[in-house]
Amino acid sequence: MGIPGQEKLWDKEEKGHRTYNDVRIFTDDQLNNYTEEELKNFKNKHDIPMLEELEKGPWPSFVSDLKREALHRRKLGKDNLMIEQDVAEDLLGLMELSYKEGETHWKHGGIVGVLGYGGGVIGRYCDQQQKFPAIAHFHTVRVAQPGGKFYTTDYLRTFCDIAEYRGSGITNLHGSTGDMVILGTFTDQLEPIFFDLTHDLGVDLGGSGSNLRTPSDCIGPARCEFACYDTLDMCYNLTMTYQDELHRPAFPYKFKFKFDGCPNGCVASIARSDMAFIGTWKDDIRINQDAVQEYVANKIPRDGGGMSGKDWGKFDIQAEVIDLCPTKCMNWDGKKLTINNAECNRCMHCINTMPEALRIGKDTGVSILLGAKAPILEGAQMSVLTIPFAYAKNPYDNIKNGVISKIFDWWIEEGKNRERLGELIQRMGLKTLIEVLGIPAMPQMVKEPRSNPYVFFKEEEVPGGWTRDINDYRSRHPR
Amino acid sequence: MGREEDIRQAILDYGSKGAKSKFYFKDMLAGVKKVIPDAGASEVKNVASKMVAEGVMEYFSTGSSTMYGVKGRGISVEKSGDSGG
Ligand code: SF4
Ligand code: SF4
Repeated sequence: MGIPGQEKLWDKEEKGHRTYNDVRIFTDDQLNNYTEEELKNFKNKHDIPMLEELEKGPWPSFVSDLKREALHRRKLGKDNLMIEQDVAEDLLGLMELSYKEGETHWKHGGIVGVLGYGGGVIGRYCDQQQKFPAIAHFHTVRVAQPGGKFYTTDYLRTFCDIAEYRGSGITNLHGSTGDMVILGTFTDQLEPIFFDLTHDLGVDLGGSGSNLRTPSDCIGPARCEFACYDTLDMCYNLTMTYQDELHRPAFPYKFKFKFDGCPNGCVASIARSDMAFIGTWKDDIRINQDAVQEYVANKIPRDGGGMSGKDWGKFDIQAEVIDLCPTKCMNWDGKKLTINNAECNRCMHCINTMPEALRIGKDTGVSILLGAKAPILEGAQMSVLTIPFAYAKNPYDNIKNGVISKIFDWWIEEGKNRERLGELIQRMGLKTLIEVLGIPAMPQMVKEPRSNPYVFFKEEEVPGGWTRDINDYRSRHPR
Repeated sequence: MGREEDIRQAILDYGSKGAKSKFYFKDMLAGVKKVIPDAGASEVKNVASKMVAEGVMEYFSTGSSTMYGVKGRGISVEKSGDSGG
């Protein structure tokens, strides 16, 4: 695909590494084209008294941001923009109208997208097109964020230029799935935006609709010593493996993978993804007793320095670590710290508090949890711990074949339209889920004894089945 | 006709004759299975994806979920309304 002659624009072999200056659309003067004085005197083309009230509060206001954008576009001029210049002004006007009436003027959905893709673009139209022509179309383009959301400034500036030139210039970094979002463009700009994104940035559209959504991950081992596996690699690898699921929808509803390198859960996968991968370890927490002594002697600041800036008093290992361990598996005798690792539930508290003294174990992998979701059809739901431990090493075939493909097949087969995986698990029961996965019931799946009796025995699993020799029974249990 | 042709025809029949002009993948799959009982989900998906690429079928998305339709049938771009995220 692509424009003839330009197919290899992103190819490093052909073109070398390209910088912002190679692909930039606007000059520095165009980017810095108004003064604060001009902003003070700026008047939106529609009156917006209610919205302006919002600027008076203590927090930064999106209304002020939109005014800046409106002025910036007015000064860029329509010859330098591919869609109408007063998008931000019309958007403010439409919002004012909605505030006044208490009704939305957005229509939602439609047949927009780029050729062959069943996701990544969300159609939005305004129903007051005469009055607000610049936002007659206001489509959203989801752009896949890089792993761990690591950007170069060149990358961000190129992204912003594309959003300004072919869209409203308004962006959302990041949407709740994790994507970078270009807010507001017209249908005729969708293919050109896609071309620019793929050729100038080397990036793809994200997921929307009944697709695999753009997988997202924490910064992982790139910057964090707590990472129990390479979140960046696994997120990228699975994204590439499941391209078809990302772009060509055949799921009953949306599906999200998220990758947390450790139980601190910086991307909150446990609550926000249908399949959460959370780093964990099987062996013992590594203890450096000398460093423990230094924490106790206040020579190393607690919480990696996170509590400096205020006097919290002397570090009290008993009160701040030992007593707060949720499973009470730690002991401090004044000289030596010990941990009963079999009872540790890897909550991370002690490690977070004394990172130089305590480290995650060496035998690391992931726990896989299934079924979290926000409330849409049913209420919000946290995920269920399904696979307590799996190794997570490239190419991740154990997880792809042992878990993901079985879950996808089951959900496509059994899931109702618009039913999330978590709702399917609820409807069919955990017992069915573990049969689908071919795994045994495990104590880790039970939150606490007698509170979630998901698992029932089947007749063939019980010696002798449901029938018994009543005489034999009575010989031992007289009436 | 070959297998792919059969599935193609079944999709087209389902999409152009059914009561609904926009339908979920699962409903389309069920429609195809009525004619070709052993048709699998990924098989049908691959044929439907091709038909989208050729411009015979199209996707219809509300943002939160996605439907399929025969191109040009029923509501299209400018008239729609649903909610989701
Ligand atoms: S989830 Fe854990 S590994 Fe990932 S960034 Fe947060 S603390 Fe580090
Ligand atoms: S990680 Fe949590 S549960 Fe484990 S020893 Fe430390 S504080 Fe206790």
